Amino acid sequence: MKIFNKAVLSLALVGSFLMGACDSALQVDPRQSIDANGALNTPDAMDAALNSVYARLRSVRNYGRDLLALSDALADVGQTTSNSGRLIGENNNQPNAHFQAGFWQNSYFGINEANLIIDGLSGVEGASAAQLARWEGEAKFLRALYYFDLVKVYSYIPTAIYQPGVVDQGGIPLVTEGVITSDAAFNRQPARATIDEVYAQIYTDLEDAKRLLTSRGVQYASSASASALLSRVALYKGDWNKAVEEATTALASNVGVVLSGSAYVNGWRAPVNPESMFEVRFALAEESIGVNESLQSSYTALLNLTNKNSQGGWGDFIPNATVRGFFGLAPLQLGSPASDNNNWDVTRNSDIRAQLYTTGNTVRGAGRQIENTKFMSKSGFAYADNVPVIRKSEMHLNRAEANYQLKNESAALTELNAFKALRGLTPVTLTGQALLDEILLERFKEFAFEGHRWFDLKRYGKPVIKTTPAVNLQFDDFKILPPIPQREVDGNPNLNQNRGY
Amino acid sequence: MRKVLLLGLMLFLGSAIAFAQSRVITGIVTSTEDGMGVPGATVLVKGTTIGTATDIDGKYSITVPAGNNVLVFSFVGLLSREVTIGSRTTIDVALESDVTALGEVIVTGYGTQPKREVTGAVSSVKGEAIQNLPLQSFDRALQGRAAGVQVRSSNGLPGGAVNIRIRGVGSINAGNEPLFIVDGVQLNNQSNAAFTQSNPLAFLNPNDIESMEILKDAASAAIYGSQAANGVVIITTKKGKQGKAKFEFNAFAGETQPMKYLDVLGGSEWFEMRRDAYINSGNTLPEANTLSNMGRLPSNWQQLSREELNQIGLDLPTYDWQREVMGSGRLQNYELSVSGGDDKTTFFLSGSYNYQESSFKPVDFERGTVRIALSHQANSKLNIETNMNLSTFQQNVPFAVSGSFLGSPAFSSSAILAHNPIYNEDGTFNTSIGGVLGQNVVLVNEYNSGLQRTNTAVGNMIGTYKILPNLSFRSLFGLDYRLLQGDSYRDPRTPDGAGVRGRSSVQQDWRTRFITTQTLNWNKSYNNVHNLSAILGFEFVSETREGISGAGIGFPTFQFRTIQSAATPESITGFWTGYRRMGFFGSVNYDYKKKYLATVTARYDGSSRFGENNRYGLFPSIRLGWSIVEEDFLKESNSVSELKLRASYGLTGNDQIGNFDARGLYGGGGNYSGSAGILPTSLANLNLGWETNTTLNLGLDYGFFGNRVTGSLDVFDRRTKDLLLNQPILWTNGFSDIANNVGELQNKGIEFEVTTVNIDKGGFRWNTSFNFSKIKNQVVSLYDDLEFLPANPGIAVGQPVGRDGTGANFVQEYAGVNPATGRPMWYDINRNITYLPLAADRIYYGSNLATIFGGLNNTFSFKGFELTAFFVYEYGAVFTDGQYSFLRENGTRLTLNALREVNDRSWTTPGQITDIPRNLTTNAGNETRGASRNTGSASLLKGDFIRLSQLTVGYSFQPSLVSKIGLSRARVYLQGLNLWTYADYPGYDPEFTGAGTGQIPLTKNYTFGIQIGF
Repeated sequence: MKIFNKAVLSLALVGSFLMGACDSALQVDPRQSIDANGALNTPDAMDAALNSVYARLRSVRNYGRDLLALSDALADVGQTTSNSGRLIGENNNQPNAHFQAGFWQNSYFGINEANLIIDGLSGVEGASAAQLARWEGEAKFLRALYYFDLVKVYSYIPTAIYQPGVVDQGGIPLVTEGVITSDAAFNRQPARATIDEVYAQIYTDLEDAKRLLTSRGVQYASSASASALLSRVALYKGDWNKAVEEATTALASNVGVVLSGSAYVNGWRAPVNPESMFEVRFALAEESIGVNESLQSSYTALLNLTNKNSQGGWGDFIPNATVRGFFGLAPLQLGSPASDNNNWDVTRNSDIRAQLYTTGNTVRGAGRQIENTKFMSKSGFAYADNVPVIRKSEMHLNRAEANYQLKNESAALTELNAFKALRGLTPVTLTGQALLDEILLERFKEFAFEGHRWFDLKRYGKPVIKTTPAVNLQFDDFKILPPIPQREVDGNPNLNQNRGY
Repeated sequence: MRKVLLLGLMLFLGSAIAFAQSRVITGIVTSTEDGMGVPGATVLVKGTTIGTATDIDGKYSITVPAGNNVLVFSFVGLLSREVTIGSRTTIDVALESDVTALGEVIVTGYGTQPKREVTGAVSSVKGEAIQNLPLQSFDRALQGRAAGVQVRSSNGLPGGAVNIRIRGVGSINAGNEPLFIVDGVQLNNQSNAAFTQSNPLAFLNPNDIESMEILKDAASAAIYGSQAANGVVIITTKKGKQGKAKFEFNAFAGETQPMKYLDVLGGSEWFEMRRDAYINSGNTLPEANTLSNMGRLPSNWQQLSREELNQIGLDLPTYDWQREVMGSGRLQNYELSVSGGDDKTTFFLSGSYNYQESSFKPVDFERGTVRIALSHQANSKLNIETNMNLSTFQQNVPFAVSGSFLGSPAFSSSAILAHNPIYNEDGTFNTSIGGVLGQNVVLVNEYNSGLQRTNTAVGNMIGTYKILPNLSFRSLFGLDYRLLQGDSYRDPRTPDGAGVRGRSSVQQDWRTRFITTQTLNWNKSYNNVHNLSAILGFEFVSETREGISGAGIGFPTFQFRTIQSAATPESITGFWTGYRRMGFFGSVNYDYKKKYLATVTARYDGSSRFGENNRYGLFPSIRLGWSIVEEDFLKESNSVSELKLRASYGLTGNDQIGNFDARGLYGGGGNYSGSAGILPTSLANLNLGWETNTTLNLGLDYGFFGNRVTGSLDVFDRRTKDLLLNQPILWTNGFSDIANNVGELQNKGIEFEVTTVNIDKGGFRWNTSFNFSKIKNQVVSLYDDLEFLPANPGIAVGQPVGRDGTGANFVQEYAGVNPATGRPMWYDINRNITYLPLAADRIYYGSNLATIFGGLNNTFSFKGFELTAFFVYEYGAVFTDGQYSFLRENGTRLTLNALREVNDRSWTTPGQITDIPRNLTTNAGNETRGASRNTGSASLLKGDFIRLSQLTVGYSFQPSLVSKIGLSRARVYLQGLNLWTYADYPGYDPEFTGAGTGQIPLTKNYTFGIQIGF
């Protein structure tokens, strides 16, 4: 018994010694992460944190695909092939086949990271004034871009607000403070701000970005790209003077060029489109979206333009009869045998943009189709292209449209005809509604497969007239707006769902 | 383990022979089973502590003091016999085997106990029960063997994952895996294979297992503290046995076969189906469009009439893609073991080779193992022991473990349109495949390659020092080391490899787990009525895991298949992670005359995984037992041979979360334009602590008619509080969720086990064992008075959470098709018919967790012949099967093949009552712009099944016969696995986990085997 007691005692002693050492024995620190407290205290960390906010734009749910291909599928741009079955529901405007929850999630994550950067500016040790200005300006530009993308998707656009009078279909939750603690994460339950409040915040951020930024390459925000984005935001808001003013500023900048003729087509074949004022950069092979959901794969079954027989992506979403009509596109056999896809091309009219369409291949189920080729792996690896967010050409179309709305019809017509000349088209002589329709038609042609059309229809409250399937989506249909992710509505008593969901 | 005990007992008794008196009795102890001598049997003079042990040949010699006239012969696993000496000097006895297991010793937490004294809910599965089953990991072999233990294979990958749930599902986001312990070494059974599933438990040759004990109630498991919430499975491997070296050779070989092929439409049948769908959709060129969908539209089609086009469709051939890629596979197993030793040292050595192919070539499993168990009695006080398991296995990987990948044979072979030839006429692969599955999966399967390797070393060193006869100190140091390696090559000749000109991916993953356990064992008996024993211990576990992986693209030709030939590195990444755990524990056992039993245990555990404010937890337990059979009024009973009431209550913890889940971190990621990014990855929760499990268990052990009927009945109420829930965060706040201790789950159930000897007459014996479990699983509460989890409404108060905590089925109820129009209908929340069900119309519809399950085993033996028929059953699971869901679309969304039974049920005529809608094509206007035909409960299936899991016919040759050729034993057998399944199930097989899409189904196995001892 004595020995037993001794043993117990010694074990207890060893135990208490070990217990004392417990806290250190149980201390294991991660090696590939750092504590969130003070993570952004250095200039290098600030740069790295900002990179992540840019990188989120690459998501399939944002500029990786959906803001271009999915929104065009919702509109009247194309038809689906059923090759992989993707975008069929969206093209059919089926309920819930719309912008997805991941778009909301990724955008708000980007906004939170931008907010944390803005909140953390004062805590960076050893930062120069120029660095501080750049971080703040870029973070604010990105925050504005995410908010603008969210509000144009989830809400009506100020120029055409449908009022069913049933539920609040305001803007979107507007948060401008970063969340990094669990308290804040648990307790903040933001309601939908009004549409005006959201646009006002976007204006404020873009004005700050304009003031704070210079330019360090079109893959980053610049003063000129802030002006260009502001021009578009103003156009959506119906703030026509502002749209003209900012378009003029952007056009005067040395960021991006407006191209014409074959240079315009070649611009689409270059890794960086010279027209870009701001583009989302895909720099590494691992950033490729891949064969299923990349823009290239969505639009064409071709792997490249040099050998049409090589199996590429799916070619799920192709121009419909309307778009084919714009450019006089019809299949054209160039040689024999007909089974060789390289022996096929399309007929084209004088519009230089017709060069951006050709026949695909017979690898996929739907067979050889006429496809759009704006995205052809120009980054140097498969299924990755830098995605232009704002091309400088848009500024002419923004200004023409805004001038029309300001009753400056002659300025609008002049600008439109000048633009048409850049694309190989003859001038028109139009006034009134016909002139506006022509400006919007030109916008349709210019930005087909770039994701503008859905919102251009939406901001004028126009119905979506589909050719294939031949059904229409009226502006009063609830499916104009996507559902807000149900988890957000369920978890936030202050957040109202969109009508119909 | 019992051999170790035996050894101790022998030594103890051997030293006790110090008396010199009277007569010497000699003899031999044999077993009635084989007539061979029993080494190590105990011979005791009744009423004294005088005894001896038999030698290697079963012989003994004992000095019996005057006045004593009865000898007691006993051996573990054999029935004890008392023999009156009378005037004899030679007494030979034959001991019968104890067919009913109550005499056995059960391994419990940090010790052993006679089964009669166990007061917790512990199930024991002997190694013999699972011997020679062609299963790669022992967890799979536990299916149906023990009440309350639910086992489901994830798929038919040899060496693949197995889903094991002890007493339901106790956690939503933390793990639901039990703690596996092999020879005192706590394993990490998390699989991290990148290219297939590599079950870490497959490192151990199941035939090396002596016994498996499953600690089910919290009180039994509580001594394992923070790791024990989901139960504990203790595996004891075979140990050396004193005696001359005994060799055992074991071999079996056979075949695996698919259990089922899906009956899909042939080429012309699919044409007709699709053509009619076009007609229904108002299409004016149904034949041409269908042929175009199938890639068979002639270029001159505009010159052909509809009738001519129709004829082309009707003439389309049919190719059986399933039988091309699925089929029988080989399996074989060889092993040799030798055990023996003298009175100081015993050893057990074994080596094994196992090979098994799945029904989808080239997916297979190949393993080699080496095992050493050594025990040495250094002196009267010190025993040292070591157990080493070395193992390597490699698996040819499938295209994907699951998923609707075009190149995946498991997905595409049943879904590809059957008119597509597999080969061209010249024997080359046909690469022009019509339909959405535009890849020749036979080609893809042939050209791709990949291998996953798992090298494992699990071992320990144990020293036991007898401080006093009743006090010993045991020191264990153990290691669980695993290296995972894998590579996978997407051949540039396949569509997935063509775009990138080949892709090679590689993985390396090291896991090192170190454990040490120091325990003091003490026992004392007071007045021969108060028996007291105690354990005190300390344990420390440290685990680190590290890995690198990468991929390269751009290969010169397909012959270059390793990553160094890649032109472009596509990705390269790595990780490091680790955690530590430390605990003190103690247990006190008390019994009064083996009649009233009590055990109290406690453990104090700390883990690095939890928040700074909440790292330590206390896990107490109490178990009480009343062995009624020891009471006087039952002691003499002939009919009641065992009766014990048990009650237990205990607290255990669950720490199966990420190593750094409590920390607020910024991690690397979000690189942009060639420069590195960082982003916030998790929110800090300084208060994050254990998920606690309490189980109240009431049990009854019974035995009747000389233990010809034995078994147990348990009822339990298991509550999990402070769930480690990933509490959703609003995305607008920049995060998805945070690990938090909120909410409560309940599993309550009843378990019943019975084993009977139905007939034991004239050498014919029929044994039956049956077990039944019924478990009700439900969420008791969430947080903030929420009725359901915002991010997953399937997690709802009052509803089960499903096998993996993913939630109950929460769907719109399908109402069949409108008999007038053939359009699919659902019920809205007000029970009105709707064509467009909304999220608000969803109702709860059970879960994928079976509520009733168990097993039934029958063994017949007669003169060396034996027949074993083992059934398992499951009832009450409801789930979707992704593969079936794709096929249930009947080709209306994508140009996939369809099941004949589904197509036959398609609505065609007004008034027809059916559940399959009218066939339409994708762009058929408003009708297809409603909800998909698989929406809601339309695609839910019942997963009930009864399966003849094992059927074995064996013959053991008479020992006297085989001894002539130098063998001690010889047995041959034929065995079949999964030979018959009763299930009303339209997919491949109801036993799987996950989405069910493109998964390799379980197989039937046939084997022939031979066991030789010499």
